[in-house]
Amino acid sequence: MEKKRVPLTIDGKDVEAKAGQTILECARENGIFIPTLCHYEKTTNVGACRVCVVEVENARSLVASCCMPVSPGMIVRTNTEAVRSAQKMIVELLWSSGDHNCLTCEQNGACELQNLVYWLKIDKPRFEIEPPGYAIEDNNTMIQRDLNKCVLCGRCVRACNEIQVNEVLDFSMRGSRAKVGPAFDADYINSSCVFCGECLQVCPVGAITFKQAKFAGRPWELSKTRTTCTYCGVGCQMDVFTKDGKIIKISGNRDYGKPNEGSLCVKGRFGMDFIQHPDRLKKPLLRRNKNEELKEVSWDEATSFIAEKLAAIKKTGGADSIAGLASARCTNEENYLFQKFMRAVIGTNNVDHCARL
Amino acid sequence: MKIFRSHLLICGGTGCQASGSIAVKQSLVEEIEKRNLAEEIKIVETGCNGFCALGPIMVVYPEGVIYITLKPEDVPHLVEEHLIKGRIVDRLLYREPGTDKVIPTMQDIPFFAYQELRVLKNRGLIDPEKIEEYIARDGYAGMAKALTEMTPDQIVQEVLDSGLRGRGGAGFPTGLKWKFAAQSKSDIKYVLCNADEGDPGAFMDRSVLEADPHAVLEGMVIAAKAIGSKHGYIYCRAEYPLAIHRLNIAIAQAKEAGLLGKNILGTGIDFDLEIYQGAGAFVCGEETALMTSIEGKRGMPRPRPPFPAVAGLWQKPSILNNVETLANIGQIILRGAKWYASVGTEKSKGTKVFALTGDVANVGLVEVPMGTKLGTIVYDIGGGIPKGKKFKAAQLGGPSGGCIPVQHLNAPVDYEKVAELGAIMGSGGLIVMNEDKCAVDMARFFMDFCQDESCGKCTPCREGTKRMLDILTNITQGKGKEGDIELLEEMAAVIKNAALCGLGQTAPNPVLSTIRYFRKEYEQHIRDHRCVAAVCSAMFKSPCQHTCPIEMDIPSYIALIRAERLDDAYKILLQTNPFPSVCGRVCDHKCQTKCRRGNLDEPIAIKFLKRFITDNHERPKIEPVPVTRKERIAVVGAGPAGLTAARDLAIRGYKVTVFEELNKPGGMLYWGIPSYRLPRNILDGEIDDIRKLGVEIRLNTRIGKDIPVAQLQKDYDYIYLATGAHKSQKMNVPGEELKNVFGGVEFLRDFNANEDKWFKGKLSLGKHVAVIGGGNSAIDAARVALRLGAEVTILYRRLKQDMPAAPEEIKAAEEEGIKIEYLVAPLRIEGSKGKVSAITCQRMKLGDFDSSGRKKPVPVEGAEFTLKVDSVIAAIGQVPDMSFMDSKSGVEINKWDCFNTGNIYKSRTANPKFFAGGDAVTGPDTVIAAIAAGHQAADDIDAAIRKANNEPAYAKPAREKIDVPLVIDEETVETPQAHMPEMNVEKRKMSFAEVELGFNRETAIKEACRCLRCDAEL
Repeated sequence: MEKKRVPLTIDGKDVEAKAGQTILECARENGIFIPTLCHYEKTTNVGACRVCVVEVENARSLVASCCMPVSPGMIVRTNTEAVRSAQKMIVELLWSSGDHNCLTCEQNGACELQNLVYWLKIDKPRFEIEPPGYAIEDNNTMIQRDLNKCVLCGRCVRACNEIQVNEVLDFSMRGSRAKVGPAFDADYINSSCVFCGECLQVCPVGAITFKQAKFAGRPWELSKTRTTCTYCGVGCQMDVFTKDGKIIKISGNRDYGKPNEGSLCVKGRFGMDFIQHPDRLKKPLLRRNKNEELKEVSWDEATSFIAEKLAAIKKTGGADSIAGLASARCTNEENYLFQKFMRAVIGTNNVDHCARL
Repeated sequence: MKIFRSHLLICGGTGCQASGSIAVKQSLVEEIEKRNLAEEIKIVETGCNGFCALGPIMVVYPEGVIYITLKPEDVPHLVEEHLIKGRIVDRLLYREPGTDKVIPTMQDIPFFAYQELRVLKNRGLIDPEKIEEYIARDGYAGMAKALTEMTPDQIVQEVLDSGLRGRGGAGFPTGLKWKFAAQSKSDIKYVLCNADEGDPGAFMDRSVLEADPHAVLEGMVIAAKAIGSKHGYIYCRAEYPLAIHRLNIAIAQAKEAGLLGKNILGTGIDFDLEIYQGAGAFVCGEETALMTSIEGKRGMPRPRPPFPAVAGLWQKPSILNNVETLANIGQIILRGAKWYASVGTEKSKGTKVFALTGDVANVGLVEVPMGTKLGTIVYDIGGGIPKGKKFKAAQLGGPSGGCIPVQHLNAPVDYEKVAELGAIMGSGGLIVMNEDKCAVDMARFFMDFCQDESCGKCTPCREGTKRMLDILTNITQGKGKEGDIELLEEMAAVIKNAALCGLGQTAPNPVLSTIRYFRKEYEQHIRDHRCVAAVCSAMFKSPCQHTCPIEMDIPSYIALIRAERLDDAYKILLQTNPFPSVCGRVCDHKCQTKCRRGNLDEPIAIKFLKRFITDNHERPKIEPVPVTRKERIAVVGAGPAGLTAARDLAIRGYKVTVFEELNKPGGMLYWGIPSYRLPRNILDGEIDDIRKLGVEIRLNTRIGKDIPVAQLQKDYDYIYLATGAHKSQKMNVPGEELKNVFGGVEFLRDFNANEDKWFKGKLSLGKHVAVIGGGNSAIDAARVALRLGAEVTILYRRLKQDMPAAPEEIKAAEEEGIKIEYLVAPLRIEGSKGKVSAITCQRMKLGDFDSSGRKKPVPVEGAEFTLKVDSVIAAIGQVPDMSFMDSKSGVEINKWDCFNTGNIYKSRTANPKFFAGGDAVTGPDTVIAAIAAGHQAADDIDAAIRKANNEPAYAKPAREKIDVPLVIDEETVETPQAHMPEMNVEKRKMSFAEVELGFNRETAIKEACRCLRCDAEL
């Protein structure tokens, strides 16, 4: 059933919204741009950054469009002087409160704060730039955290608690000393963090970055390829970013929907080294006799050898003397075929899968 | 019930406990036991009595006698005297500040008399830990009525009709809040009480909880029925252990009595509640943050909508009311909305409890009807400002509020008026600030609080308050920039408009409000690096030096007295002041008002120490300064402003001629100040020193008469007009034209010009003299008249504490036998044959406050009286006499008959050849202000000349380096200011010899040792 429509006016344009929609949602649906920063779909609307403020007629003050539900007859203005001056002041405050040095920032070109500064046409902040001077957290192999670049939008906190429900991150301290992190100010590596990297994926600035990708390629140099994660049978959809044929980083993509809705796990996101690792096995190796070295052989030779041996074992020991263990890194189809092979060809029910361990 | 002959109500509020009331109670118990009085006398420990600053407090009933600042050792005597012998112990009673009048009974003390107790009706009367005592005072009767006789709708309607508005600060109608929550459909709803009182200086809620916890519980049960709730929380800050303790007892007792919990009063209604202790975050006073905190999460606000009435605690409909709001409910239900609305103003009904604190005599808890004047709260209830200081402003609403300055003391305190004045009602913290508080520093303090308490969630509050604090801190450190005020205003507007919750939205209020009322102070900090309150210590060496209009190096000369190096001390005096021996006698010593020692006991006697140097060491010898500059400068008027300018210009090599109409130089120093205060030889010595530099003083030469202004303009390149204010203001009463009616300064001038005739009786005032006025010249005229043998009465239209004259002058006049009639104003002067015979006066009373913060005298209808007098001296103020000026000169004269200046240079008039300063610009002011004006004029004239000549600016020659010893005593023992020895009263009444005799060496050194050396940089 179609929900009730709510008529309202945004920037002089008569529009209709679904009941319960926010001003921001309605504006976006109608092609009216309202800048945002802390807003992140599928997480709670917190109204923290105040970048999305708009004027609503008869309201006491500006309202955050990301969390203000529409109401019938509402008159909204998104581009008045009061709105712009507040947005500018807010972005200047954010800019000057951190170490937003685009020269070396991995997020350069994909930074939402940078986009806001540009969109609002701010030459430089009126305030002296005073980064808080936190030490950069660099003691794990996957995620680098530079809280000097954090704008405290809280997206990572919501991603951790609401999307992945790992409940590792929250705010600590107060006021301008507020910061995000695991309990007791621990580093990720010393906390209950499982390195799913959701925080990294949602961070609008360069505060939480992909360590392996550091200095490996600018956002605009990378090409994006959609693929399915090879680690398990869930079939998570993801984007692989490459430069010159080399994988730089991997990211989830909310647009791809099921099964993972844009989220990834530690393996899928960070376990990519093996792909182009020189030690990676690309051809079968065979050791015919016990004390012999492994030798590279052709696939035909390898499979023939296996078939011979399996047939021999079955003959002497019976089918149940053979067991099969399949890998979670195979697709569902491959796993299906494997059990079929064990049952129908070998003739045993001794078949299992690593994901059950 | 047992009957006792006496009840001793000893206050057990946190304030009194902190000052030792538990020990007092203990010794009372022991003493009563010892004397076998336990059967006759009952000791009750009550909640906060409200008179917190004077605790421990004890009230003895049935007499209602209140004893203050009790100590355990007072107890045996008190029991013996009052309870056995029936004699009130005078020394433990309240004394009214200012008048020192002893007031034995509580209700006669203005602090209590002006209050209307509703929320606090049980304060100091009942033992808060006994439910029976609460019930005996109609407790729980409102709840019983609500539960048994009223429907939820009726309850909501009653509260709506009462007009009660939220006492937490925002003032939202309580009934409306309840109505919304009642309309929300849900099986679970919550009633919440906000006891997270966190404003600096606010302690209303704590006191209510400590004194009358059941009143809050009763209100919550009624609210529960109104909205259909079964569960409630009291969110109380953990810093209030006594309040929590008493609440716990109250909850247990109410449950035991069937007034809380299941099936209350057998009505089938269930309501249970628990206390949730807040961990001390200010933001948790914000409703959504408070609820988030109860939910066990980090207390951060969330956006509204949804509003708590729809989705509050755990997303269930909830109401959150402040302690004071809830404490009103029981009585509203019991006595009706009409009763409640019978006091207050149109839109603000009932009473409001204020925590009155800061620079006010009676710090404590007060409850007044809405609409009570701010001045009534500060002066009548609060007893005014201690140590004779001036009221500057009152901060309402703590860090979210604003200040109300002196010109609005008549403002009725209610939601609307307070908001109109740029403050907020807030929860009721009312911090009184005296003249020693700096507006910028105050704004900085509150901004520091807000940025510290900001939760950090939203950008404007988190980063904006910090940046505003940075700017304010810079301004207070003398590092402010042009544009800072405007940036503060812009940031304030954005933060107010865009912050997420009430904390951020109100955080800029103190800044906006101080800019609104004290913009000049901000500008002085930024442009002149000056803090009039002498608070912002980064900008000065010492408060005394900073406060002195000519920035005399006071700490140095005091240190040199201690080191007995008077020669160097004298040099320091002369570095800035050409008249140190004059100022050592007649300066109004503003420096002493800011002396840090005054915070400990009494300020250093700076003025007397200065005089000690000049009395006890020869004046350094003055060498003439050769004329090196071609410009010729004329100074009109040989008063302190003119002579100072002449001296400075002579030192810079100019040829200066001073023109004086009268036959003696000195201006008001000679003609206005009697010689018993300023001996003539002292003045002459310092004027001679100026002559010795090469300055020519032409006496008996009136410009405009003897020499036309146009001629002066021809003969001189630049002219400094320092003609003073030598004309008395008229009283504008009939009979003023009679003979023997004098103006104050005219009389003094006449006396000084014709001393012989006055002494020999050729001129006479007669036997009875009335002097009108309350300033120094009124006192001077009166004391001169007395010395001429008259009986003198001073008639002043206000009270003694309002007199502009120096207190020591008033005291001296009284000692000499001058009668002062207060609250009288002259109506008419009667006379026969052209001579004065009597003066008829109108009795006055004090009405509303004027813009200076003093109460305006208004006539008491029909109360007139007549004094038989032979002369009347009207010394009610002076104005400059501008009749000498040539209207063609181009020099502007304003409506107060003063010169207008400020033409690029501070002292230049509209005609660039003419500069002006002193009383002729400001109206009557002090000697030191005139000296400062003289310095300014010399700087300006010299700068203008050099600019015109394309010369570089004047570089002051380096001052002689004088090594100033820094000796700081390890310990400071409280010692009052050294007393100035005076000539015996009987002797001095007959004489014009100097009254004040000067410090001797021992006294001076001892007094110099009192200096705390706050100039020291360690």
